[in-house]
Amino acid sequence: MSRQYDVIVVGAGNGGLAAGGITSKNGLSTLVLERHNIPGGSATSFRRGRFEFETSLHELAEVGPNPFEGTVRQLFDELGAKDVEWHFEENAFRVVLPGEGGFDATLPTGEEAFADEMERQVPGCRESVKAVFDLGRHAIEAIGYLSKGAPDPAVLQSEYADFMRIASHTTKEVLDALHMPKRAQDILVTYWCYLGAPADQLDFLYYALMLILYVQLRPAMPKMRSHEMSLALEKAIHEHGGEIWYNSEVERILVKDGKAYGVVVDGKEIYAEHIICNSHMGNALSRLLPAEEIPEKMLKLANARDIALSFVTVYLGMNRSAEELGIHDYSNFVIPCADSREQYNRCCSIEDSGYAIMNCLNTVIPESSPEGTCTLFFTTMYYGDVWKDVKPEEYKKLKIKIAGEIIENCEKALGITLKPYIEEIVIAAPPTFARYLMTPRGTPYGYQFDMWDSMMMRTMNVEAEEPIKHLRFCGACGERGDGYSSAYISGMNTGLRTVRDAKEGK
Amino acid sequence: MSKSYNIDVLDPLRFMARMEERQKRIEEAPAKEISSEYAVNKLAYALHPQKQFVRIQKVMERDADCKSFVLVPDAEKGTETLAYFSAGQYLTVFLDIEGMKLTRAYSISSSPKEALEGRYMLTVKYVQDGLASRYILDNWKEGDSVEVSAPEGFFEYNSLRDAETVVGVAGGSGITPFLSMAQAICDGDEEFNLILLYGSREAEHILFKEEFDSIMAKTDKVKVIHVLSHEEREGYEHGFVTADLIRKYAPETPYSVFLCGPQQMYTFVDKELEKLSLEKKYIRHELFGEMHNPKAQEDYPGGAPDTIRITVTVRDETRTVTGPANDSVLQILEKNGIRVPSRCRSGECGWCHSRLISGKVYIPKEIDGRRMADLKYGYIHPCAAFGLSDLEIEVPAAK
Repeated sequence: MSRQYDVIVVGAGNGGLAAGGITSKNGLSTLVLERHNIPGGSATSFRRGRFEFETSLHELAEVGPNPFEGTVRQLFDELGAKDVEWHFEENAFRVVLPGEGGFDATLPTGEEAFADEMERQVPGCRESVKAVFDLGRHAIEAIGYLSKGAPDPAVLQSEYADFMRIASHTTKEVLDALHMPKRAQDILVTYWCYLGAPADQLDFLYYALMLILYVQLRPAMPKMRSHEMSLALEKAIHEHGGEIWYNSEVERILVKDGKAYGVVVDGKEIYAEHIICNSHMGNALSRLLPAEEIPEKMLKLANARDIALSFVTVYLGMNRSAEELGIHDYSNFVIPCADSREQYNRCCSIEDSGYAIMNCLNTVIPESSPEGTCTLFFTTMYYGDVWKDVKPEEYKKLKIKIAGEIIENCEKALGITLKPYIEEIVIAAPPTFARYLMTPRGTPYGYQFDMWDSMMMRTMNVEAEEPIKHLRFCGACGERGDGYSSAYISGMNTGLRTVRDAKEGK
Repeated sequence: MSKSYNIDVLDPLRFMARMEERQKRIEEAPAKEISSEYAVNKLAYALHPQKQFVRIQKVMERDADCKSFVLVPDAEKGTETLAYFSAGQYLTVFLDIEGMKLTRAYSISSSPKEALEGRYMLTVKYVQDGLASRYILDNWKEGDSVEVSAPEGFFEYNSLRDAETVVGVAGGSGITPFLSMAQAICDGDEEFNLILLYGSREAEHILFKEEFDSIMAKTDKVKVIHVLSHEEREGYEHGFVTADLIRKYAPETPYSVFLCGPQQMYTFVDKELEKLSLEKKYIRHELFGEMHNPKAQEDYPGGAPDTIRITVTVRDETRTVTGPANDSVLQILEKNGIRVPSRCRSGECGWCHSRLISGKVYIPKEIDGRRMADLKYGYIHPCAAFGLSDLEIEVPAAK
């Protein structure tokens, strides 16, 4: 018989690494299987010429400079991955809507400063902005109550009625109820793309939580790109006695009589008491699980959901410093129109949407590229199957065309010149993500958030929606959806549930 | 406690309604099986197959020590079409030479368009003491089946980065990616001007003379200047590719310089390029190639035993092997029959990324393509690492 483990983790993405870290730390023999030769999934880096590029991280919401410890920092510390060198950004974001009636707002971190700048941009909005933060705090308190288990409906309705309101209404509905002027709403919801759903499709609860975490704890990033975080977690797993096998793609998850008991790698069966799947749930359902063992409810849930968005990302190594290029902010959101739903609609096409995020790591970590240079990281979004008709022979030209448009849109909106100074360029597109992450249509984001499928709705149904015994899921398809912090925390929670199951002999 | 806000207009019981809506949505959804056939994923696979099986359709003798091989899909082994590529990219070929599991990277010398028609051409020239090139030249024959990687590498033109004109500097078989680029320009798949300074020993060693003449007859965007180091001949430049020669043929700045050739050529031409004061962004090199004789490097620390013992773990198997300190860690493992994932063999691509558990290695600075965190957490690229002591390493399984 092949070797037996307590836990096998399928995929060493952020969720899988966190889950494997938790299970190995808690004394469960753990094997993490990863199809690539490095850990992290999206969380990695790559080199070109004299530059090392961050692959996908914009910024982490839940680290926090000491002593304000966010959940992600606590997780890394608890696992013994303490040596990640965190850097923090002073501003939350800059958002620019070019043209007449547009705006150019740079929002600082810190609630007061943030509210001040919002008021300066849109006089009369201050109270509603402060209310957003107060509601965010109320939400944190309510979640604390809920996490104790078995909430009393009477207490919920008396003490936490506002929580129930913001968890079940859209960001737009709540901001309207707070009488926030539309222009202020448009600036405030700039981060919506981090969760992938526009303000009229995203619950206020999750948006407010994300915003308050960024504004209170400040956006964080590791000194040596995400590869540093991934290797730190990998090291922690090794130190806790866990194993990681690379280039070891799981071909199947073994299930019998409603219970998972192992996986197949290179035709060989490896057995474990518990399986944690960090692969996209769509992959598990279409390729990894035996069709006859998939409960109808899982199929129905997957069919009820939409596959989330994908991206084009452009990585530029510039032969000028950020200062010389006139770049002062880390996160620059360039938007083609004010309203998030309209932005979303424009991203439902392969044509130039005008939407782009430009990040410059050197503004936070000046030494992240050689002196006199800087790196830029651009992101734009695509919803739906809009890349479906692209042919291999058109692919390179299309990528260069799109990258050119993104760069020009940012040059115009930010009043800077970039094109003559490009020393290195790499362009990733949905097929790149499809290749690397193997997710449906190359989404790094799991399933699309919707009001019926929001973070809170997912959280309340986590256990009910993992109907195959001894098989749990984590990562971007998890209750918290996409994003680095979300994936880490989802992996942590899944790991903790697995540890609990193992202790209870379930 | 007084609140700064009032959102009483919103119904808290909507929360229960959302829970019910969720159950209803799920209940009403079909229980049909989940597709894995998405167009974007298919495109990804067509561009980047995990491996390609090809058959040698034709062998063309270029000169005594150089042959071209036309490769076509080997449908029997499951490869129906060949992956498209960007002119300048290479294939890694997988070799099994008497139990040694080797890889070698060769630039594709045919055009991207031909890949769509199901044809790649690789051109292999014997290199001194070249184990793989000798094997290929002596053994590959028509009808043989070969395994190759997907197209790899970054030696390609990008209009957002490069100048409109590229001065190509090629030495010997370093001409191969430029033939692909010239053909792509001719086919309209690439849009730039290529001025090629191609160094050969004597006119009889020039590769692809007819092919380039034919391309030049079709397009004025490609121009080839032959530079002979060991022969003076009318209509040909004599000597090496110098700054003066580049000045003579290059347009006004900006222009890009792409170099592909042996290491000695890089050393020589890089010095010449300094005289031209081009911005770094306008100078691009193809892979450095496998480094031999690390002891000749200036910063080689010395002190290595003649023989290195390596304890290597792949998944749950551990073996101990030995090899000379002059071989890279990758070579030692391969020569002991251990299949190690590798592609570029130049320290760049990271395919062989491995964990150094104990021991000391020498990694020449110019081929150290590791990420910063790799240094912090003890990772090496075995193709660019030479043992200075006995080593213990963990290597990913070869796919």
